Amino acid sequence: MSFLGTRFRPIPLLLAAMPMLTAQDTDMAERLYRSGERAYAAHSYVEALETWNQLVQQQPQSPYAAQALLALARHQLDVEKKPDAAIPLLEKLKTDYLKTPYAGEAMLLLGRLRASRSHTPAEIKEAMADFHRLVDLFPDHPLVQAARLEIGLAQKLQGEWGRALQSFTEAMRLDPASPIARKAQLQAAETLDIMGDLTGCLRMLQDLRNRFPQTPEAEDAAWRIQVRAQQRLLKPPLKSLGPWPQGRQKWLKSPILLATGPEGDLYIYQSDDDRPYHLKDGALVPAGPSSKNGKALLVPASGTAWVVSGKFGLVKEEVPQVAAPPVPSPSGGMLDPWGNVWICDPGAPAISVVGGDGAARAVPGVLALAPLPTGGAVAASDASRTLKWLDAAGQVKLSVPYGKDLPATFKYIVALTSDPLGHVAALVDGDFEGVVLWGPDGAVLRSATYKSLGIAGKFRGVALDRSGGLILADKSNDLLIRLQ
Amino acid sequence: MMRRPLLPLVLLLALLPLRAQDPALRESLQAAKVLWGTQGDRDGAAARLEAILAALEPSAKTLDEGWTKTLCETYNWMAVLDDRTAGKKALAAKRLESLLDLDPDYEIDRTITNPRLQTAFDGLRTSKFCRIKLSLDPEGGTLTVDGKVKRSEPGFHYLLPGPHTVAYARAGFQPQDARFELAAKDTRPVDLKLARTSSVITIYASPVGAEVLVDGKTRGATRGQVPVDKSFLADRAGVKPDQLSEGFRITELTPGKHILEVRLPCYRTRRIEISEALTTPFADHELEPVKLEASRGTLTVQSAAPGGQLFLSGLDMGRVPVQDLQVCAQAYDLQVKYPTGSFTQHVEIQEGKHLTVVSRPKARITYAGFEGTDDFAGRDRILGLLSTLGNRLGEVAFLTAAKGESPKDCLARLRASRETELTLVARPVPGKPIHQIELVLATLTGEEERVTIKPLENDPLGALVARMDRAVTLVEPWAGITLLDLADGAYVLQADAAAQKAGIKPGRNLLEAGGKPVATVADFRKALAEAKGGQITVSQGENPVKLAVTQMPTELPINAQDLCYPLVLSDLRLRYLGAQGDEAALLRLGQALALMHFREYDKALEVLRDARMVSVQGVSQGTLDYYTGVCLLRMGNVYLSEAIQSFNQALKYPQATLFGPDGPLLAPLARQALQDLQP
Repeated sequence: MSFLGTRFRPIPLLLAAMPMLTAQDTDMAERLYRSGERAYAAHSYVEALETWNQLVQQQPQSPYAAQALLALARHQLDVEKKPDAAIPLLEKLKTDYLKTPYAGEAMLLLGRLRASRSHTPAEIKEAMADFHRLVDLFPDHPLVQAARLEIGLAQKLQGEWGRALQSFTEAMRLDPASPIARKAQLQAAETLDIMGDLTGCLRMLQDLRNRFPQTPEAEDAAWRIQVRAQQRLLKPPLKSLGPWPQGRQKWLKSPILLATGPEGDLYIYQSDDDRPYHLKDGALVPAGPSSKNGKALLVPASGTAWVVSGKFGLVKEEVPQVAAPPVPSPSGGMLDPWGNVWICDPGAPAISVVGGDGAARAVPGVLALAPLPTGGAVAASDASRTLKWLDAAGQVKLSVPYGKDLPATFKYIVALTSDPLGHVAALVDGDFEGVVLWGPDGAVLRSATYKSLGIAGKFRGVALDRSGGLILADKSNDLLIRLQ
Repeated sequence: MMRRPLLPLVLLLALLPLRAQDPALRESLQAAKVLWGTQGDRDGAAARLEAILAALEPSAKTLDEGWTKTLCETYNWMAVLDDRTAGKKALAAKRLESLLDLDPDYEIDRTITNPRLQTAFDGLRTSKFCRIKLSLDPEGGTLTVDGKVKRSEPGFHYLLPGPHTVAYARAGFQPQDARFELAAKDTRPVDLKLARTSSVITIYASPVGAEVLVDGKTRGATRGQVPVDKSFLADRAGVKPDQLSEGFRITELTPGKHILEVRLPCYRTRRIEISEALTTPFADHELEPVKLEASRGTLTVQSAAPGGQLFLSGLDMGRVPVQDLQVCAQAYDLQVKYPTGSFTQHVEIQEGKHLTVVSRPKARITYAGFEGTDDFAGRDRILGLLSTLGNRLGEVAFLTAAKGESPKDCLARLRASRETELTLVARPVPGKPIHQIELVLATLTGEEERVTIKPLENDPLGALVARMDRAVTLVEPWAGITLLDLADGAYVLQADAAAQKAGIKPGRNLLEAGGKPVATVADFRKALAEAKGGQITVSQGENPVKLAVTQMPTELPINAQDLCYPLVLSDLRLRYLGAQGDEAALLRLGQALALMHFREYDKALEVLRDARMVSVQGVSQGTLDYYTGVCLLRMGNVYLSEAIQSFNQALKYPQATLFGPDGPLLAPLARQALQDLQP
């Protein structure tokens, strides 16, 4: 139940920290705690929770009361999946048992809960306060490393790249061989790329693979290296590998939107039945509400897709489809790292944001949106014929005219997408009719016309995969085509 | 006229402290014979003989056969001398009587003994002793009479009347004895004929003292010196007679083949195959003499740390470093004792080979004992495990408290004497019942780690032992190139100036390294680890390129679960002794990081201030400056301006990294730190 290792000394600390108890009281408290432990191990949850509650009520000053509170909170989080029920227990632990190491664990859990619910910088600052408190009050606590990682993630979310990098390296320095350090190293590498140090990013990712092969983080690093190298170092000419999955023809019904999920798997929205699907083991599995006139497909961490509908705006559930769209004619949308949804309308003066503080991003005439790892977005505007790289606040950091660095210009963006590494791809129409891929700095990395690729069809959707390829949705031929 | 000049000599001889069985006695006997025989100096001869008697008579009953013979001879000569000296004639008979008491089988020298004395001697012997006529078959065995070894000669032997036991034995034969009672003036024949039981193989070996083994089982060691009648064997072996042993007899050989080994430390073992023909039929065989060839190797012990004393299996071999020391080819427990720390390694020196050992002082840990007398389940077990902890530790020398010394006294003594680098104390964690033990492991400078264990758990010290035996490496091999694992091979992401100059082209795959194909970065790292001679040959498909392999510094983690930080700190301090240049600075950085583990930022700062690196790439001077800034920051606002200075200094090294050569550049971190420090 506890993260505390043998090198941390809870019992002597607890004894020292607690007001004087008689040996008999302590003995009774320990018996109650152990009894709860045994019941819990036997999955007799009700009995265990009652026993621990009894201990907290009857022996609140016992060193075992803190342990019992933590056990109760973890049960609410891990088994009951009721974070709201866990919060008061953790808060009590944090305030009433501050001198015990269990308060440190409570701080980490509270911080994580708050961070997961944060939609604005102000909200995440509360979570950070919990993490900082753990680091400051319990510098020897085994969870300090985890707190450092959480602080870094929060800083990264807020766009404080330098500070985030510091926090990640702090976490790595403590114990480079631990799983937490590996996660921190992965995040540090990603942060370096955001800060413009691609080489540093790749070195750190490869170092992760070298030192910790066979770990999930090394696997994660592998595709991140491969995609970056493919798109930004090797940059081979795009070529069509034909229908994808291998040789599958006419197996879809008017696919028009593509998106990738948290694990990189593909989601497809078909206009024939106005429904999103998850491509799982080669089969299409319904994965979200049906909604007419889909304009953008969003896949949150839950794996159930949301649709930005031209008719209904953001649609998260099957019924009711009555939510008034925040903009009159939604044309695109995206999910930002806070969990907020950005919805654009080429006729609107700003990008609407659903969730968080709800503040719109004052960028007019946006037709399509794709998220960036910076927390911002790339916005396409056919009206101004520019692609704009926005930060999380909607400030334009970079503006790239349509057709820049291409042999011919284009007039329209048909579909826009991005990957978690900051690469942006679009299907474009005009004098240049085909596919274009931009890097995080707005430079064209790869491009090809449909003609040069030897493919023809009505391409309406595009997604970037984890092997450095692009998937195109061909509405007229009811298939997908993969470019590499 | 003759006596006066001899008086001083007599007095001198009388005063000379001649000890029983002193070889000088035999020389004295010879001198006495010469004095009388050639010079007619009866007094001089008598004085010398008296001195011999005085030395040997008190221990007459315990003398061996040779000295008994010397004493008998002295009695014989004294009897002759006394018989010729007026006033001493009566003594002559007593001398003969003493001679017979000592060895009735002794035959007097009838050339110097007059017939009258001879008759007296024979009469005395006949009247006092009985005779046995001994027949021995085969000859050359060992004869004992009443338990005392006698000359193994057939013929007459004289014994007192009464019961007697005569035993006869010889290697390869069944021993035999005869028990009988002799009456006065009896003459009795005694026939001892032995039955053969096995073959006997005799071997002579040089040098003396070699162990003889048959079929892997020891039979003893050679000794003595080859007898004169066999001295030709020494010539045959090519050694001097005094270098060849007496015959070593191997008996009780079962019929069939056997392997005989003759071995001696520092010499090459000789293996001899004994054929079946030597074991059956039973017979005596004498092998060609064995001369063992010397077997030696050379040993070099290097040590950067000063003051080390080398011991080979406990034998003091002088101060390190030692170069090309000639030593016997065998296994040794090599130990180098330093003023602080100690180094031990089991080494095996092979014949004709050279072994180089790089020694460095390793930390000593002293188990000061268990505090408290509370009884609890598992107490004996945990005490036993703690006292034998040293048997499980390879990276540290383990010592214990003096006998009867309390933990407190032991710690006080060690703090004063500094005979250890680390101390270990065990104490029970209070509770009823006690089921946890706290181990406190500390440096003499106060950095400590506390570990809680349960005395009844399976191998309670296992985790601690694993951490204490974890060697810290602060470098990794580096060839100046950074590779990426891509789908189609190992891609050269970066190459430093030297690698590019050698011909490495970034942006292309590496195809071979160390003569083996490279498909992944792991292949290259394996080849790099196996590279010898400080370089590695690599290829990108064209001409092979030679790259220098260097050791690039890496950082010590601050809070690794698998490290025992008091030990790490002590080890780094010892490794620093004698280290120079960047290596010394890297060890200082390691010490500082270990001190940061204990949050002793002031001490860490002191260590960092003392370090300077020439290297500017990877973990280098910039890294030292960066951590100097970190320590200053942790020490509070008083040092903010110094911290800013340190971070600015770190920014002067744009290629400096954290953690290792592939770690993040520290420049953005230093810049962020400076930004955060802006008012």
